[in-house]
Amino acid sequence: MKKAYNQTWVENLHLQRQAAEWKYRNLLTEEQETQVKELFPEKFYRPGIFVKIGLFCFAVVATSFFVGFLSLFLLDASSEIGFSTLSLICCACFFFVLEYLIKTKNLFHSGVDNALLYAGVTAAMVPVFLLFQHAPVWAYCLIALAVIVPATLRYADLLGPIAIFGLIFTIMAEWMMKFPLGKALLPFAVMMLSALIYILARKNKDIYYHECRQILEVLSLVTFYLGGNYLVVRELNALISDLNVSVAPQIAFAPLFYFFTFIIPAAYVFFGLKRADRILFIIGLIAFAFSVYTYKHYFSTLTASQGLVLAGALMIAAAIALIKYLHTPKHGISDEQNRKNSLENLQAVITARELGVTPAGPSLEFGGGTFGGGGAGETY
Amino acid sequence: MTPKSILNSLTSKGIISDQQADTIVSFEREKAFSIHWELRAVLYLGILFFSSGAGILIYENIDTIGHQVIIAVIALITAGCFYYAYKNSLPYSHEEIDNPNKLADYVLLLGCSTFLGLEGYLQYQYNLFGTRYGLAVIIPTIIFFLCAYRFDHRGALSMGITGLASWLGLTIAPLSVLADNDFSDGKLIIPAIGLGCVLTAVGWISEEQNVKKHFAFTYMLMGGNLACIAAQIGLFSHSPKVLYFFIGLGLCYFFVRRARKAQSLVFLLMGTVYGYCIITYTIFTSLGIDAALGLGIFYFLFSSVGVIYFLLNFKKFLGIKPSGPKDEKGI
Repeated sequence: MKKAYNQTWVENLHLQRQAAEWKYRNLLTEEQETQVKELFPEKFYRPGIFVKIGLFCFAVVATSFFVGFLSLFLLDASSEIGFSTLSLICCACFFFVLEYLIKTKNLFHSGVDNALLYAGVTAAMVPVFLLFQHAPVWAYCLIALAVIVPATLRYADLLGPIAIFGLIFTIMAEWMMKFPLGKALLPFAVMMLSALIYILARKNKDIYYHECRQILEVLSLVTFYLGGNYLVVRELNALISDLNVSVAPQIAFAPLFYFFTFIIPAAYVFFGLKRADRILFIIGLIAFAFSVYTYKHYFSTLTASQGLVLAGALMIAAAIALIKYLHTPKHGISDEQNRKNSLENLQAVITARELGVTPAGPSLEFGGGTFGGGGAGETY
Repeated sequence: MTPKSILNSLTSKGIISDQQADTIVSFEREKAFSIHWELRAVLYLGILFFSSGAGILIYENIDTIGHQVIIAVIALITAGCFYYAYKNSLPYSHEEIDNPNKLADYVLLLGCSTFLGLEGYLQYQYNLFGTRYGLAVIIPTIIFFLCAYRFDHRGALSMGITGLASWLGLTIAPLSVLADNDFSDGKLIIPAIGLGCVLTAVGWISEEQNVKKHFAFTYMLMGGNLACIAAQIGLFSHSPKVLYFFIGLGLCYFFVRRARKAQSLVFLLMGTVYGYCIITYTIFTSLGIDAALGLGIFYFLFSSVGVIYFLLNFKKFLGIKPSGPKDEKGI
């Protein structure tokens, strides 16, 4: 699927961010950072968050009144066929305007394009719901996927991966719930599907989908944990079996789920630290908290306030102990707010370069000229 | 797009030398995984859990502990917080102070909140201020403003401004109106507009005079929103509408001008959105209901497209330099 936003600019944006970080850590000089901005330009329109929200709201108003405006010209807008035609026409208009604005105004997730995309996708879905009213849920989900997956591939919108993730799980749950065996195996299916999505998402190295990939990672890690969590499995099991009891009954494979409940957060935290993966680490911490809650829910006799005091005291103690322990970095983990390179080091390197010590200097500049003419695409 | 490939493209463009690239590579390789913020988050959450748990425990056992003890404990915490903030503060200056001790900021906020709690407790239990609610509100307000300037704390400033607004409301309106928490009593609107304008002016002056320049944003944002909302409520439900219409539009014009000077998109947005609401309301009320219904679709369609067009091209309209607004991250 061809990408809607300028791929080179997206890459340059990322590159500029990295350069800014290196500049902040005293690894690049001020001039070098400006040079990076000149040689790797991006001209996206990226306003602040408030203006984005404002643009989004006005765009939503504009799109909804556009539908109303068009319906004035269609006589039988109230009938199903008429309304479907109307919404398809709207869909085409929305996507046309979206493409036009991205091309001419250099939008990049700036509110208007998000609103137009959502409006376009919704307008594309409406006829399906109107014309096929008694289809099974998974059929709707499949059609929705057929619209949303290409849209996400093209626009890399952040809601896209969330919607896709939700739809895939809905389809799976719908199919599994039809059989008694499927119901019993649902937690394992959830975990396997999450693991699959996580692995597939990690394979994607394209910077264009960087944020989408992160969202998929977060979602799949969370569902993988919840699929193995004892509390969730036990309560949901009671819920889908329509048992009206105050205490959910014990589940099959209970020891296995105890094991999952405690090993998954531990594994997340361990691998998060080992691979310096912040998403994995943070979700591991949150999952750990939920595991503690799971334990407390079934086994603890403490009241809420006692539990809070105890948890708070333990958290304070652990945090302070770790802060003290990590005063000097250990095992590749540190407690530094922002480590900076000492400036002298950089100065030495730059002086060395200016004095011509670096042998590669002149020849590289020559090569740089040809690259500059050829466009930035070649360097990748 | 790994750091490695970025370095390659930087060296091939001749921006950095191979030697510097090597330095960066070794820095990236040796860089330890910092869990600074995660640890801080756990610490603050722990404090929050501990204190709320302790609060509930005390509440459950209030009969055996007694009010004096609790008041003494809250007072001690408050005093401790202010003492810590004072100990770890840098000397006063007109400029923005970058205190390396970030904890002091949080401690000050905690102290301000516990002070409010202390006062509320005293009033609730011993009726300390009687019915002089204005006095009860103005004392913390003054303290918050002093703290904001002494410790250079925007959070305390926001709390002070809120306190000021509620003090003004308490002083003007009878309590029955305030209990409903609305502006339906017309008496409140003009003072609210006045206070909003005064706050905006204070922000403007502090920027012009270079006294705590970075407070100007907080002053103008809170004051401006108060004034604009009050003007709109006045326009919607009170007469003379013409007066409120012009006050509102004047404020919006000021904010758009302001956006141009400060290159701030928040003020641009405020000016645009409030202005849009005021003009839309005025047009529809003066047209009457029938004409409004017929015109509505066209009006909203074209006007919102117009607003989007304005926001997308604001640089051209306002003559803002192409370097772009500085506060993209700050707001």
